[in-house]
Amino acid sequence: MLKSKTFVKKTRSGGVMKIVREHYLRDDIWCGSEFCVECKQESPVLQKDACIESNLCSSTHYLIPDTNLVLHQLDILEDPLIRNVIILQTVLQEVRHRSAPVYKRMKDIIHDAEKHFYVFTNEHHRETFIEREQAESANDRNDRAIRVAAKWYSEHLKRAPQAEELQIVLLTNDRGNKEKADESGLVVYKCEEYIKSLTANPELVDRLALTSDDQNEITSSKILFPEHLPLSRIQAGIKSSTLLQGIFRASRDNYLEATVFVHGEGDESTEVLIQGLQNLNRAVYQDVVAVELLPRNQWVAPSSVVLQDEGPKDEDKEEESENMLKCEVSEAMLKPTGKVVGIIKRNWRPFCGMLFKSQIKEATRHLFTPADRRIPRIRIETRQAAALEGQRIMVAIDGWPKHSRYPNGHFVRNLGSAGDKETETEVLLLEHDVPHQAFSQAVLSFLPKMPWAITEEDMKKREDLRHLCVCSVDPPGCTDIDDTLHCQDLDNGNLEVGVHIADVSHFIRPGNALDQEAASRGTTVYLCERRIDMVPELLSSNLCSLRSNVERFAFSCIWEINHNAEILSTRFTKSVINSKASLTYAEAQMRIDDAHMNDDITKSLRGLNKLAKILKKRRIEGGALTLSSPEVRFHIDSETHDPIDLQTKELKETNSMVEEFMLLANISVAQKIYDEFSECALLRKHPAPPPSNYDILNKAAKSKDIVIHTDSAKALADSLDEAKVDGFTYFNTLLRILATRCMMQAVYFCSGMDSDFHHYGLASPIYTHFTSPIRRYSDIIVHRLLAVAIGADTTYPDLMDKHKQSTLCNNLNYRHKMAQYAQRASVAFHTQLFFKSRGNLNEDGFILFVRKNAIIVLIPKFGLEGTVFFESKDKANPRLTFDEEGPTLTVENHAFHMFDKVKVTISLDASKIQHQKIRMALIEPVIPGVSVAPPEDGPEAKKAKLDR
Amino acid sequence: MAGLELLSDQGYRVDGRKPSELRKVQARMGVFAQADGSAYIEQGNTKALAVVYGPHEVRGSRSRTLHDRAVINCQYSMATFSTAERKRRPHGDRKSSEMSLHLKQTFEAAVLTQLYPRSQIDIYVKILQSDGGNYSACVNAATLAVIDAGIPMRDYVCACSAGFVEDTPLADLCHAEESGGGTSLALALLPRGGQIALLQMDARLHQDHLDTLIEAAMTACKGLSDVLDSVVRQHLQEVSVLTRDLGVCFSASPCISVRKPPALYLL
Amino acid sequence: MATVQVSEAEKVYIMHGVRDDLRVDGRGCEDYRHMEIETDVVSNTDGSAKVTLGHTAILVGIKAEIGKPRPMVADEGFLEFFVDCSANATPEFEGRGGDELGTELSNTLYKVFNNRNSIDLRTLCISPGEHCWVLYIDVLLLQCDGNLFDAISVAVKAALFNTRIPKVHISEDEEGGKEIELSDDPYDCMRLNVENVPCIVTLCKVGHRHVVDATLLEKACSEGGRGSLDPESIFEMTETGKRVGKALHAPLMEVLQKEESLGKKRQKVGFLG
Repeated sequence: MLKSKTFVKKTRSGGVMKIVREHYLRDDIWCGSEFCVECKQESPVLQKDACIESNLCSSTHYLIPDTNLVLHQLDILEDPLIRNVIILQTVLQEVRHRSAPVYKRMKDIIHDAEKHFYVFTNEHHRETFIEREQAESANDRNDRAIRVAAKWYSEHLKRAPQAEELQIVLLTNDRGNKEKADESGLVVYKCEEYIKSLTANPELVDRLALTSDDQNEITSSKILFPEHLPLSRIQAGIKSSTLLQGIFRASRDNYLEATVFVHGEGDESTEVLIQGLQNLNRAVYQDVVAVELLPRNQWVAPSSVVLQDEGPKDEDKEEESENMLKCEVSEAMLKPTGKVVGIIKRNWRPFCGMLFKSQIKEATRHLFTPADRRIPRIRIETRQAAALEGQRIMVAIDGWPKHSRYPNGHFVRNLGSAGDKETETEVLLLEHDVPHQAFSQAVLSFLPKMPWAITEEDMKKREDLRHLCVCSVDPPGCTDIDDTLHCQDLDNGNLEVGVHIADVSHFIRPGNALDQEAASRGTTVYLCERRIDMVPELLSSNLCSLRSNVERFAFSCIWEINHNAEILSTRFTKSVINSKASLTYAEAQMRIDDAHMNDDITKSLRGLNKLAKILKKRRIEGGALTLSSPEVRFHIDSETHDPIDLQTKELKETNSMVEEFMLLANISVAQKIYDEFSECALLRKHPAPPPSNYDILNKAAKSKDIVIHTDSAKALADSLDEAKVDGFTYFNTLLRILATRCMMQAVYFCSGMDSDFHHYGLASPIYTHFTSPIRRYSDIIVHRLLAVAIGADTTYPDLMDKHKQSTLCNNLNYRHKMAQYAQRASVAFHTQLFFKSRGNLNEDGFILFVRKNAIIVLIPKFGLEGTVFFESKDKANPRLTFDEEGPTLTVENHAFHMFDKVKVTISLDASKIQHQKIRMALIEPVIPGVSVAPPEDGPEAKKAKLDR
Repeated sequence: MAGLELLSDQGYRVDGRKPSELRKVQARMGVFAQADGSAYIEQGNTKALAVVYGPHEVRGSRSRTLHDRAVINCQYSMATFSTAERKRRPHGDRKSSEMSLHLKQTFEAAVLTQLYPRSQIDIYVKILQSDGGNYSACVNAATLAVIDAGIPMRDYVCACSAGFVEDTPLADLCHAEESGGGTSLALALLPRGGQIALLQMDARLHQDHLDTLIEAAMTACKGLSDVLDSVVRQHLQEVSVLTRDLGVCFSASPCISVRKPPALYLL
Repeated sequence: MATVQVSEAEKVYIMHGVRDDLRVDGRGCEDYRHMEIETDVVSNTDGSAKVTLGHTAILVGIKAEIGKPRPMVADEGFLEFFVDCSANATPEFEGRGGDELGTELSNTLYKVFNNRNSIDLRTLCISPGEHCWVLYIDVLLLQCDGNLFDAISVAVKAALFNTRIPKVHISEDEEGGKEIELSDDPYDCMRLNVENVPCIVTLCKVGHRHVVDATLLEKACSEGGRGSLDPESIFEMTETGKRVGKALHAPLMEVLQKEESLGKKRQKVGFLG
């Protein structure tokens, strides 16, 4: 049967357009129930024993939620308890339209066979399709469609044998809809009503999202925030450029400040500063908001105050903090300032954090403090507050009414007790969206069957390089070895150098579950004592890992090079290798340095080292940057797994030797795949930073009377090399640390979608990632492209589709960034653990940044950064004068400049389990009333243990 | 706002069809009296009208005359109101000229032109309403019109479009599907021999997908040929009943041309 | 448009018939041929009609678009005509062959229909001087068998009757910026009053009398196209035209109302019947 769907649509040019679409109605859409004998369905989804213990409906029942329920109470639906739910197509389509993240989660539930969620395509079913009636709004029509479908279900299943007891329960929070459903004789409940009736599972109530009805009682009726504009007004405002649209980014350091990043045409992106609670107007980090610029005379400069929301407090205090933001600044420092007038799209996700229990004993409403400081506190309702105290929990935001100081939310799940290593790791993985669940059976099913061995067939397709003296050089304890090297003399006097990379793409075939999972994970994440693999362990640590004395598949890149390190020819081949040694950087270094060793491996290493030095020199002459960021290594106790020592990583010559050849291979491969596939090569670029990024570096250098040229990478590299201050050896490193922070993020991109390929940091016109396919998905794609280019493998559709590849790049960039953040967070957590065991430590440090009320200090010994606050609540604050230009901060009579050497005492501030943090207090220079007396170092007993 | 979901997880398309299902096809032959052959077809909301004039002597420049076969002359045009956004002119744009050329190529492959040397056959098609698959609707309408004109053909020419969404081939695309990104191809088939008269695709598609896509389009074309065949048979039945019963008085009427030799054109 | 040639004898026969008010096909001098009207035949237009008169076949589609009022009449919308003399009607129209006739027809239609007496153009105004509805009336000639003007005028009138213009309202924000908003309810639409929309009646002088709705054969006998008329005949023809026009209007409206009253239940025929 045929129905025509007609609607009028506004076109982009402001005209109107009548659109007609066909709408077919069918008789072959089945109900999906095990009871039914009429429908010719193969595997019904809805079970016969669909019973949840409820004192409202005691018998078997199927649930039908309406759209708003799915949108607002998804946490309930996600609960493993809730099963046998009919999701109507009407509902699913509305959800898809209204919220992409909810839709995605809904789809995940539907695909989960355990949940028994059935999608009923009611809009195309002959008996459940309805046409919109005159004067009926689109929403009313959809509500009616839901009721009609529910009615159809109850009548349809009434005819089924043994289904007398079965009930169809419609869940809706809409009063009008409920009344109409009641009238037509449907079983209908409000969500709260139903969930509270589940007597056997009272904990589910906590997961209920607060609906607007409940919110009224919570807060005073006083309106705290300006009303948000309706979407139509926002759209009109954006069109007429009176409003700007952008992404809201709350400040990490100051809860009263945020910036809105407005995307402009080309390079015209701007940042709008927002200050003060009223102007922030309930926007949450990552929301898409509409902002209105304030008149020029109200513009302010970003404040350098570090302010943290300390929980509920009096309003006058709040004003006081807001006043603190204001200060006399020069005209030039003023930034475009605005206020949030409306929210275009919320980007809320569940947040990890801790409960801040209400002081009133019986209270059920509590404040929740998210781990991410950019997220405001959330008010939740729970009866298990006592049990949740000291636990890390997850909470979702439901809404933020204008008369509430904090957003309202609900409890999602408990992650474990705070401070616990497992819990904290879980938190940081969740907070950084790192997929870390065990690999599913579907994924594992694509692994090679063990025992695995190389066959004759395999050998025929590959070059036999087993005779070569290949070895690997990696950090100690590395089990996923993805690169090996060799170097040998050729008869013509030249050298043959080979880089052999694990052939992961041989095992991971495009499109299967294993491939999809790896593509989604994007990268292996290395935490301090845990590795979250991108591919299952069998591959990462065994079959792909190029361990010594086993035969492994490799993808080889072989050059003929003369003694001046000039490349004479390059070839790529799939091969079989047999590594002769797996060395650590230190072992390799020892071999090179030990004049007595003259075996093949050592000779090969020496050859490589010699070439690497020339290559590096040439690269630096070409303008490549050598920057620095202190990397920390923990020595972990083998029994307690607690960190017992902390030191910055030391770089050996061999580190840079391996790096040089990896760079060379990456560049060679990048050129090859770009030559072959100009439209769909996956490359990596590093954009040059905009000049304003260097402001802080210039200021810092100027304070030591040094000029840094930043017009090109080459100029920067040269002036960094020359920047030296007598008697201050660490100065250069500090400058390099600062320079690193001025850089842009390097990104993957698809060559067909971009025209700028330049890699700024490496000063290379083209670059990609080829050398670590075990831990990076980008390298797998590059392997596949290269394999096609040399005729070793065939292409597949998605590989040649630049749009799909571009989407993939976006995911890889996102995962990459998140992995870095997770890594940093892990280091921070372990640093805390370390200081917890060490007690107080007195160390020398350098001032890295100067803020309005604090200085940020770097301790070179640990590569640790911390903040020394000069203000505190409990004692009189010292006199502070801040000079923006220097920048200098004068505390009482002492002026702090960047790079000043200070001595601080470091301790773990465990007073708040919410946020344990490293606390630094000033010891030297001595400022009366500000600095502290050097406390004793940690207890002797512990020290002895650590000294071994 | 999210775009349209072209294929739901439950396997239904935007309009409720399954991937391989065609839209509803309705057709009629002999719509107009003055032309030598005419036909009208509806494929869903795509509606096309085709008329055939000829074979007649070559009009205009004599130099176009071919000595061994007939010239096929096609013009494709669209009613100005046929699309959602009004068109400024019915024909003469690049797209219509290209479409005219494709029609010409298609019918040169199907019509037995060697039977009519030095003559010309005009095929004019007009899209009255456009909702995707314009080319296919035109070919199908023109096939019926050529049959109605009594011009012998090798076989029916049936055309259908097919596209690719999420690795599933979809047959007979509607406008929403055509414009929803993804690749689509149009295929004209001589169904009995399984020969392809025209295959057109102007987007990127990976070679691995081409086979499945062509397969889907061919299956769809065969489905269409069954529909067209039944339309032709029914038309013939109606005409023969009329001519038998009212043979004398109708022979003077131009409504049914006596020139048409029934059942001859499927050689 | 089939070219028709008449022999002298045939011509005399026809002229004699007309004199006696009996035409070749049995009609009287003021009778129209069999006419079929169907509206709402093209679903993606805002109004459409298909009319056949003898073998003449016309399809009219109307699309309403938002445009800017003409400066002289700021509070009125307007109509735009386009006549597509399609090659489907005759091979002579192929390419640009039909353009001349098309322009002639559309100019006439514009003069006849786009004025205040025909349709209340003020109802098409959305906001004076800024926005108004422009009705694009596109006429498609599918088959020509004489009397194009009359058939087209009937089709246009029927299509206008069928036209549904979506309701819009203007929302104004603080800064005075105007935004056109479409009504959310698809049933919410504006209809046009077509009571005064003219029907064109073409008269053709055959011998001493004049006939309505001349066939091509009759037209070939007429001298009207090439010859001249005396003032009296013009006066007579005007009178006849008025009479026939009124007689045409009443049943036409009746038929349209009747079709309308069937609503959604009506089986659409289009070109399939």
